[in-house]
Amino acid sequence: MYAAPFSYHRAASLEEAVTLLRELGEEARVIAGGQSLIPLMKMRMARPGALVDIHLISGLNGIERSNGELRFGALARHAEIEDSRVASTIPILHDCAAGIADIQVRNQGTIGGSLAEADPSGDWGTALMALETSVICFGPGGERTVPLEAFIKDAYTTVLAHDELISGVHVKLPPKGSGGAHLAFKRTAPVYPTASASVELTLEDHHLCRDARIVLGCVGLTAIRAKEAEVALRGKTLDEKSIRTAVDAARAAADPQSDMRGSADYKRVLVGTLVKRAIGIAARRARGESVPAGHEYAGR
Amino acid sequence: MARKSNRMSKKKPARAAAHSSSTNGTKTAAAKWVGQPIRRKEESRLVRGRGIFVDDEKMPGMLHIRFIRSSYAHAQISRVDVSKAEKFPGVVCTLTGAEIKKQVQPFIEIGPGGAQKIADYPMAVDKVVFQGEPVAAVVAETRLAAEDAGELVEVDYEPLPAVVSAEDALKDESLLHPAMGTNRNWHGVFEYGDVEKAFKQAAHVVHIGRLHFHRFSSTPLECNVIMANWDPRSGDIEYHCNNTFPSFASQFLAPALGVRIDQIHMKSFDIGGGFGIKITSYPYMAVCALASRKAGGRGVKWVETRIEHMQASAHGNERVFLDTRVALDQNGVILAIDSKHVDDCGGFPRYEPLGCVIWAQVLPATYRLKNIRIDMHQVVTNKCPVGPNRGYSRMQHLWFMERVIDICGQALGIPADAMRVRNYIRKNEMPYKTPNGCVYDSGDYASMLEAAKRLIGWDGWKKKQAAARSERRWVGLGIGSTLDSGTNNFGQARIINPDAPFSGQSKVGIVKLDIYGEVVVSMGSVPQGQGHETAAAQVVADALGITPDLVNVRPGFDTAHNAYTGHTGTYASQFAVTGLTAIHGAAMKLRKELSRLAAWKLEAKEKDLEFGIGAQGPEVRAKGTQKAINYWALANLVNVNNAGMPKSLWDITLNCRHVFHANFEIPDVQRKYGNLTLTYAAQIHAAVVEVDRETFQPKILAYACVDDCGKAVNPRIVEGQVHGASAHGIGAALLENCAYDSDGNLLTATFSDYTPITAMNMPELLYAHMESPSPFTLNGAKGMGEGGAAPVHTICAALQDALYPSGVIIDDSHNTGDSLFHALRKAESGGYAAMVRVEHRTASR
Ligand SMILES: Cc1cc2nc3c(=O)[nH]c(=O)nc-3n(C[C@H](O)[C@H](O)[C@H](O)COP(=O)(O)OP(=O)(O)OC[C@H]3O[C@@H](n4cnc5c(N)ncnc54)[C@H](O)[C@@H]3O)c2cc1C
Repeated sequence: MYAAPFSYHRAASLEEAVTLLRELGEEARVIAGGQSLIPLMKMRMARPGALVDIHLISGLNGIERSNGELRFGALARHAEIEDSRVASTIPILHDCAAGIADIQVRNQGTIGGSLAEADPSGDWGTALMALETSVICFGPGGERTVPLEAFIKDAYTTVLAHDELISGVHVKLPPKGSGGAHLAFKRTAPVYPTASASVELTLEDHHLCRDARIVLGCVGLTAIRAKEAEVALRGKTLDEKSIRTAVDAARAAADPQSDMRGSADYKRVLVGTLVKRAIGIAARRARGESVPAGHEYAGR
Repeated sequence: MARKSNRMSKKKPARAAAHSSSTNGTKTAAAKWVGQPIRRKEESRLVRGRGIFVDDEKMPGMLHIRFIRSSYAHAQISRVDVSKAEKFPGVVCTLTGAEIKKQVQPFIEIGPGGAQKIADYPMAVDKVVFQGEPVAAVVAETRLAAEDAGELVEVDYEPLPAVVSAEDALKDESLLHPAMGTNRNWHGVFEYGDVEKAFKQAAHVVHIGRLHFHRFSSTPLECNVIMANWDPRSGDIEYHCNNTFPSFASQFLAPALGVRIDQIHMKSFDIGGGFGIKITSYPYMAVCALASRKAGGRGVKWVETRIEHMQASAHGNERVFLDTRVALDQNGVILAIDSKHVDDCGGFPRYEPLGCVIWAQVLPATYRLKNIRIDMHQVVTNKCPVGPNRGYSRMQHLWFMERVIDICGQALGIPADAMRVRNYIRKNEMPYKTPNGCVYDSGDYASMLEAAKRLIGWDGWKKKQAAARSERRWVGLGIGSTLDSGTNNFGQARIINPDAPFSGQSKVGIVKLDIYGEVVVSMGSVPQGQGHETAAAQVVADALGITPDLVNVRPGFDTAHNAYTGHTGTYASQFAVTGLTAIHGAAMKLRKELSRLAAWKLEAKEKDLEFGIGAQGPEVRAKGTQKAINYWALANLVNVNNAGMPKSLWDITLNCRHVFHANFEIPDVQRKYGNLTLTYAAQIHAAVVEVDRETFQPKILAYACVDDCGKAVNPRIVEGQVHGASAHGIGAALLENCAYDSDGNLLTATFSDYTPITAMNMPELLYAHMESPSPFTLNGAKGMGEGGAAPVHTICAALQDALYPSGVIIDDSHNTGDSLFHALRKAESGGYAAMVRVEHRTASR
């Protein structure tokens, strides 16, 4: 469990990081929390020749509210988001942050690293896609803003150029009457979920669904927006029938693979149930109720 | 307490007196410390990060070894080329299987006949039989150089068909060890009573299809770690390692490496868990020694990675139970069981086929059944070799028996609790002789069940279950009865192989008074979290009338302490009996010596002396006088100030060694009959489990453990062991599974896939302790800690109860949301119809 040899570089600014990446070439990788990269390096499944550490770049770890947005620095840790009063204004973010892996991983892992990794089972990609999220990318030509859905192209693949990095993540505050939930089923704490679902609803008069976003995690090469499921709810009264239609549509949208977390058949069933439950919690939250939710663990 | 002690010190030292009915007649000093829930002495060191683990240790000039392992489960090795690796900077040498073959003898095989033809070398020679089997090794100045150079070793394989299930192994289509001529490395029929007659008299006969006990392991926090140095001057081999049965390892290593056993020096200190899985680390110990020799006598360290541990250390035994027939009377009392069991021991037997008899320690489980026939087979398969995993071999059989009880109960409409009470061995039948000659020392299973039901609120849950069912919820209540048999009689190995040259059981304790009067205890045991230092100190404190903090217990095993026999190690739930009895015996010998010395020095009679703590520390005093002598002065008399001592006291050494013996005989090999183990701790657990109708995930709604390990030497440690064993069992039941694909690739080689249980998965455990003192042991204690996999039985029982109305038969020891989802689908299409068949011979009541 020793990584193959690599050189280590520490960037003091975003500009320096970009320069280093360009100079070191294709074999260089950014390291943030190291919670995806280091395990892969230890197993020698990743062999970067050089690491560019972005930890000491100031201004990359804040969490603030401004201009109708929550703005996360790329280095905001899962644990910081879990504990953040500001972030808790959007409950789905707390649901997501508090259930990622275990406390050690949450103390190190970053929101930027998660999105850059684009792991099909990662929680952030799923939860943030249920909101209006933009990824701020910093490259040789300065900053560009990419909507999350365009940012993630495929499993482990994003639009980032080699010498480009994520500097921040901006999430638009949902309109009044909104509520969301991120639910994930996990076998044990330190593993990725078997399936996850994020739902964000905007309600009118407590029952009429003005808007809905439904995202499925771990059941495809990227987080999947179940658009048919959203259609089943949008403009409809939330009742058993519309929810059932949405759940069926979500199950149909899932494209899971069998692995040690579960068989494809089972994951499809599970993700539908998570969607159903997330809709229920999202609706209650949209009505102003405070409902605990998040990750569920086998056996309990 | 101290006042009585002189009288008591004249008594014979307490020993395991089998079949004596008195529970504490052999007690020698009133127990002040034994039985107290004192905090563990070792805790302070361990929680402050001051534990000493092998990986913390270094040898001067130490090198690092890395293994190159087979990616195939079954293949011929056509080429191994280490030349590039040898040229890598920092590499000192390499080793290959072919090279090692010329230097060592294959390891001893315990099995008879064809099994003797298995050539188990420390590394694969010309073929590999499991994924992860080492084929070469690189030895380098640094761990990193060894890792880098290891990538340059080239190995070519010609894959062979992999054998991954026990049933396939029996077909003998692809042979692992062609010299053996078969994959079946052991077979024997265990038959007792009159099975056929019982079936003729039965009111009901239940036929049960294939049941499967899955493979799981123990995942100790600390993997195997070995540091070896083969000294070219003395020819001695020094080991610092975390092997938990060092005497067994030495007996395997010495003949393989061609050294005398006294040339093997072995040491362990703190160990981060073992659970039996580290007993079979000796092949790696051999390679490390050979590497040290080849490197010119420099120390070599190996620190196993988790993936290596998962792929190629040891797993627990997997077993299938086929063609089961159960004869019952009208009331559901089991009259006979007839079944065929096939145990799967992986690529090499190693500790096996001992598991083929060890289950027979609990042949009838907790039940009175007299007629039983088990057709026992063991096969080799292209999977990781097994090792004695916590609950070893008994849990597989106990799980089978619990499944039989529940399936028969369901089939006959008899509730799980009633089914058990009708079949349990009764308290007044104890000590109870089983059909195969084992003696259950004590226990009251029916009362334990009552206690478990009270603890969990059984009747209340029954009502809630009925209500839940009417809402179409799947809620089940389950009971698991299990035994943790301890202090094994190695004579049972004769049933496996009549030529096996071992029997009985022994352990050593040494208690000495050092030159300045310190009480120092050496034990041969190899604790891995069982609190041996504390329990030993409690026993010695009582024997000498002092306090546990005045007793210095040497942690860990060290051949230099000379506190070992060939049975020494920590395994098979026994320290409370074997280790503590040895230590007690040694402490009583020391007490006698101190008493003789003090009588001379104080000019008093031994009977007028008392032991205790005075102003100057521990002392011996003459009752009713001012005369006293403390331990320093007593030690001084023998060690540095012995002029003038009468010759009659010259035999006193103040360094007292005692060996534990049990009253064991060699079993009758023909009849497979005899007393295979000394004590039977019992656990009865109860659980309420709900299977979520929408996620199919089983959730534990309530969980209760009732434990009876006789007299608890330290109730706090006992409770901790019960918690640990319960977590392990719940993990096995719901999360942990060594899954292989059809090519023999281990699919669960990392924790992300194996998912060992975490705190987030644990229910709150309700706990109660009962005490049925063992009549056969000092203080009535029984060994415990393995826990008999009670939660595996209990959770399966609860799942069965929850899903039986839906037509599901729980036929596997491992169940997940995914597997239950598929089981329910299978039930919908009538898939379990043939699994259980009931023949009613007379009208059922
Ligand atoms: C045991 C374990 C369990 C886990 N379980 C979960 C889970 O349940 N759910 C979940 O969502 N995640 C889980 N994770 C992953 C965790 O969330 C990681 O923290 C996250 O995936 C990566 O973030 P990081 O900061 O650690 O990134 P790193 O590991 O440092 O980097 C990951 C990748 O992103 C790149 N990168 C990092 N930062 C940037 C940036 N600012 N700009 C551009 N590229 C960047 C790196 O070059 C690298 O390719 C788990 C991790 C572990 C070790």
